[in-house]
Amino acid sequence: MNDGAGRMRLIGAVFVLLSAAIVYQMIRIQNSEHSRQLVEMFARTYNQQVRIILPERGNIYDRWGNLLAGNKEVYEVGIAPPQVVNPETVARDLAAVLDVDYYDTLHKAESFRKEGNERYELIKDFVPADKIRQLEQKLAEYENAEKPKKGAPPSLAGVYWKAHLIRSYPENELAANVLGFYNFLDRWNGRGMLGLEEQYNNLLAGNKQQVVLPLNPTEIQEIPEIPPGASLITSLDRDIQAAMERIIDQAVKENGAESGTLVVMDPKTGEILAMATTPHFNPNEYWRYDEIFPVGSYFNRAISQLYEPGSVFKVLTMAAAIDAGAVQPETPFVDVGAIEVGGIWIYNWDRGAWGPQDMVGCMQHSLNVCLAWVAQELGPTQFYKYLQDFGIGRYTGIDLAGEQVYPLSLPGDSNWYPVNLGTNSFGQGVATTPIQMITAIAAMANEGKMMAPHVVKAYIQDGVQYTVNPRVIRQVVKPETARTITEMLAVSLENEASNALVEGYRVAGKTGTAEIPGPGGYTNMTNASFVGWGPVDDPRFIVYVWLEKPTSSPWGSVVAAPVFSQAVEELVVLMKIPPDEVRQQLASP
Amino acid sequence: MNQRIIQAYRQAPWRVQLQWIGLFLLILVAGMLIAGVYLYVSGRAAETGARIKALEVEREGLAIRIADMRTQLALLNSSQVMLERAEKLGFRPVEREDLVYLPAAGVSGREVVFLAPPPTSVMRENKLLRPAYTQSLWDLFYQTAYQYLNTRGGQGQ
Repeated sequence: MNDGAGRMRLIGAVFVLLSAAIVYQMIRIQNSEHSRQLVEMFARTYNQQVRIILPERGNIYDRWGNLLAGNKEVYEVGIAPPQVVNPETVARDLAAVLDVDYYDTLHKAESFRKEGNERYELIKDFVPADKIRQLEQKLAEYENAEKPKKGAPPSLAGVYWKAHLIRSYPENELAANVLGFYNFLDRWNGRGMLGLEEQYNNLLAGNKQQVVLPLNPTEIQEIPEIPPGASLITSLDRDIQAAMERIIDQAVKENGAESGTLVVMDPKTGEILAMATTPHFNPNEYWRYDEIFPVGSYFNRAISQLYEPGSVFKVLTMAAAIDAGAVQPETPFVDVGAIEVGGIWIYNWDRGAWGPQDMVGCMQHSLNVCLAWVAQELGPTQFYKYLQDFGIGRYTGIDLAGEQVYPLSLPGDSNWYPVNLGTNSFGQGVATTPIQMITAIAAMANEGKMMAPHVVKAYIQDGVQYTVNPRVIRQVVKPETARTITEMLAVSLENEASNALVEGYRVAGKTGTAEIPGPGGYTNMTNASFVGWGPVDDPRFIVYVWLEKPTSSPWGSVVAAPVFSQAVEELVVLMKIPPDEVRQQLASP
Repeated sequence: MNQRIIQAYRQAPWRVQLQWIGLFLLILVAGMLIAGVYLYVSGRAAETGARIKALEVEREGLAIRIADMRTQLALLNSSQVMLERAEKLGFRPVEREDLVYLPAAGVSGREVVFLAPPPTSVMRENKLLRPAYTQSLWDLFYQTAYQYLNTRGGQGQ
């Protein structure tokens, strides 16, 4: 009896000790460092997911809502090796559909079986949607197929695809020099380059966010709604842009020019309606940038390429002189064919003497001698003050990345000589961009008010559209001066029976021909330009044409003026501007 | 005498046993009921969570599809494509001489596009999930009490 009780106590003690040992071991394991790390690792890996949410990049529209830059659906395709059932099928189908290497894909598909690789393997990114439809079709075929009696069934198990967006430009080359591009192949660190894409990169990109999401479905956590980047509504008119690109391409071709630039602006608001430059570029294939723009060339000549504008600059000189009261349109001038400024002789473009002229005649015949005299009458202080007011040597502040400027040499500067007063008066010895010229001269078509040039008309952020209001830079000349200059230039075109004239519409304008400086002085090559606006009584557009190094003729009046006329012919149709006569009839009661 | 009285009023042992069993069963049933409710609520929460996740994935996919469709539409309506389509249909670009202008009272020029409403003072509610899905019971009590006190304070002023 006693023996039995003793045995029972012994067995009981053994069980108690065993239980105590199990409890001790459980507590020890639970509290060990290794266990803590293991639990943390599992929590990190399996309990939550870290996601970087990239907001949709904002769209870019023209002024009528036509999409110029949007986003396109593409896919990332990858393999989860542990889930692959049939590596051969996976490798064969992916190689056939995605055009990837069969053996490399097979190696990745088999990597779990052979090496125990559990890591997700990327096969290809930026796969178009139609390729994914092919894979989906194959997936459906395998699911519906009968299972073989031996071996693994054909299967795409373990293959995953996930959609994401890339930048797309549906109009291809249209307005590409204004839009810039987005290097979408760099998926996580892409950014806008040049043009609007660079200028408004932060606004378009929005704010990316990193979120930690629990995988446990009971721990509901809202994925924060990341608003898309802001969209831009530009002042560009798609149809006008297309027409201007067509016209400048044709002009470059016909005149054997090295490049061409054509800018159309609304002088009353500073809105850019079209900005066409050559060469063209397709931002959908931005990796070809270096081929199209070798080192030293310009993406957007209208804002980046500095050049001596030549006689179009005379508009500014004459406006300054009339505004300051130094001359009047009727002021007589006897042109003897040469004038000495700062000890250097200045001649006319044809080296001829044009005899008695008034200021209209000086502009009509584009007489360098006369304009040098006008600048002298105005005096250097006044002349350069006006040029600075016109924004020469200063950034216009256009909302496009890449604007260039060349500082204006002023009296007292080490690189300014007295002769500069003469040469600058007719646009030589001074470097500007087309956007600077059109901005300054547009004041003549807007009662003397110079408007800030801009491309963005409105933007949409968080579902609300904000309008960008036009901004006056300054009243650079008096309204009557602007009207006088417009009238003088309209009369001079009519007197000359210029190639720039457009039937039914009265326009004002000025040609420009500037010799291009080379290493040993000026060369025979020229920059041919024309600036014009209309209709004279109520200007709705100003057009700047520049052909670089034309070979058909060096003169702006021969090569650039017809381009202006052609542009206006299209503009009046696209902008629905009735001929002057009709407009006046409609306006009269 | 006392012993007799105690014995007279003492429950029979089998009754005491039965009471204990009854109490145990009551606790067991109550516990099971609570566990059942908890299981049901957890199951519903998990199901809802899974549905929300699926809907969020679907929403993300739809946002991508919408962006893609917008671009595809723009491709179909692009300047070049429209020009080619018009030419195929026998149209030609209009020229200045073709146009006849007629006065039309009350017709203003083409307005610049408005793709979104202008700014207003109305703020939108952006939360997708209602607070009830995420807040704890304590949060609910606290928030309700806070709102109640605030309302009362407001009324008193």
